[in-house]
Amino acid sequence: MSRIPLRAWVGLVLLVGLGALSLVAGRLFPEALANTCPLGWDLNRPDRSVCELAFGGLWVSLAIGLAAGALSTVLGLAVAALARLSGGVTEQVLLRAVDAVFALPDVLVVMVLQLAGQSLMDAGMGGGLGPFGLMVTSLALVGWAGPARMFRDRLATLEGQEYVAAARALGGGGVHVLRVHLWPLLRPFVLAVFLSRLPSAILTESTVSFFGIARMEPMSLGRYLGTSYAALIYEGGGRVVIPAWGLLVLLVLGASLASQALGGGSRREV
Amino acid sequence: MRLIATRLVRQLVLVPVVAVASYFLMAALPLTTESDNKRQVSPELAASYQRDLGIGEPLGFLRPWEKLFSGERLGTSAQGITGDELLQKLSGSVGVGLVALPLALAWAVGFALLRTRWRRGRFAVLGDVLPAIAFGTPVFIPALLLAPAVVERGHLLPELCAAVVIAIWPGTFLGTLVGDALETELSRDYVRTALSKGLDPGTVLRRHVLPNVWPALLDAVTPVATALLAGSFAAERVFGLPYFGQLYVLAVLNKQVAVVVVSTTTFATVLVVVSLTVELLRMLVDPRAREARA
Repeated sequence: MSRIPLRAWVGLVLLVGLGALSLVAGRLFPEALANTCPLGWDLNRPDRSVCELAFGGLWVSLAIGLAAGALSTVLGLAVAALARLSGGVTEQVLLRAVDAVFALPDVLVVMVLQLAGQSLMDAGMGGGLGPFGLMVTSLALVGWAGPARMFRDRLATLEGQEYVAAARALGGGGVHVLRVHLWPLLRPFVLAVFLSRLPSAILTESTVSFFGIARMEPMSLGRYLGTSYAALIYEGGGRVVIPAWGLLVLLVLGASLASQALGGGSRREV
Repeated sequence: MRLIATRLVRQLVLVPVVAVASYFLMAALPLTTESDNKRQVSPELAASYQRDLGIGEPLGFLRPWEKLFSGERLGTSAQGITGDELLQKLSGSVGVGLVALPLALAWAVGFALLRTRWRRGRFAVLGDVLPAIAFGTPVFIPALLLAPAVVERGHLLPELCAAVVIAIWPGTFLGTLVGDALETELSRDYVRTALSKGLDPGTVLRRHVLPNVWPALLDAVTPVATALLAGSFAAERVFGLPYFGQLYVLAVLNKQVAVVVVSTTTFATVLVVVSLTVELLRMLVDPRAREARA
């Protein structure tokens, strides 16, 4: 426990605190929040206070970030493990696929995937995937390449250590070495990569939702800002934007602090 | 030379991959259901989409590009565009991106120098807080805050504001990287030697340190260029700029599938060109990059 740096603790406490706040304020006691909100009512939805929309949106954004971050980390880990276990041509092909996906801008691809997914859902072929599931899947499909590249490089570095060579010389197979010798060292790095995906997923979702392409209800922070933007432009309304912005910044700050500190910590261990 | 050619081929392969993947994704969309959902297209419109994509025709997957090069309108309604219009809109977005790039670079170098100076003083915390604010701010938020003051005024002000807004994140990202590289270089022996021989700090920075920092900057320019171009989508939407980002978002919202296919491919091509240019520039300015690849 003592090996976890202070910055990581600050980041994790910030993330958990925001999650708890959004659960309590946005989901469990929205009436109390509505009655005490100093920021007034939303310009477009006068039935809801700005605080209700901001904290409700934070809960949705956080849930999307956690789910998409976890899924893209798992996908990236699977691809990296497959690449290292296969080696040779298969590894090169997988790395080129990673480069190809990595080169495309997230927002653009997520928009196309949303269009495709919504058409499937409209046709009753969504396989039970709602707007939330569709967004998580889209974000994971564009987000796995970064983790895959990082995990592959980290695995290649870890495999260069003497005890791994010794394990191989003693007859340890690829899966055995990966599971028994490499995974314990990789674990803190996996957590760091997962936390680094969190802000990226939340910001991509916010931008796509802001364009009005995602149909999520209840609204995420991005969708809330997107639905308010015409009123904001013509009536002015920093009070509507700034709370959601502040929550996004705190969310990203928490995830970045934890991710950087854990990533740095695990680098030092190697 | 062979390595540059390999790199070129690797990058260029991406374009047909994106073209074919986006075509078949769009062609596979089930647009002909009987559902009365208001977002569904009518049977006539669905048939029109299929004609537009050349579904069922021999070599039908080439149909959107045939229309593009023959000057026909892409898309099934008045919102469809010709190849010339697409290029015009793309040049608008690239123009905004090109204005944003020097702004981002200037902000990056300035922020890196300030961060190096702050590290020793009481403003050290700003070196961490500013990036967190920039990274946690989607492009549309500063755009929304600026929009009420800008949107009614013309004379390229919305374009300039869009460039300023989209330069914030890439500038801070580059500044963080350059700041770290600068700090590493400043702690090296050759800097101490140069200073102890009486060279003034400005000259040491300009002549000895910065040439070693440029490669780190160039390594990060490709993702930054991607962020600049993709970031302009949101800024264009808020500032009402009628360029490529706006076109793309409307094409997705209106299910203009052929426009989406061609626009996605065009955008991927632009990114490949940017990436190759940066790669060549990197080899040109950094002898170590040439040696590493030789």
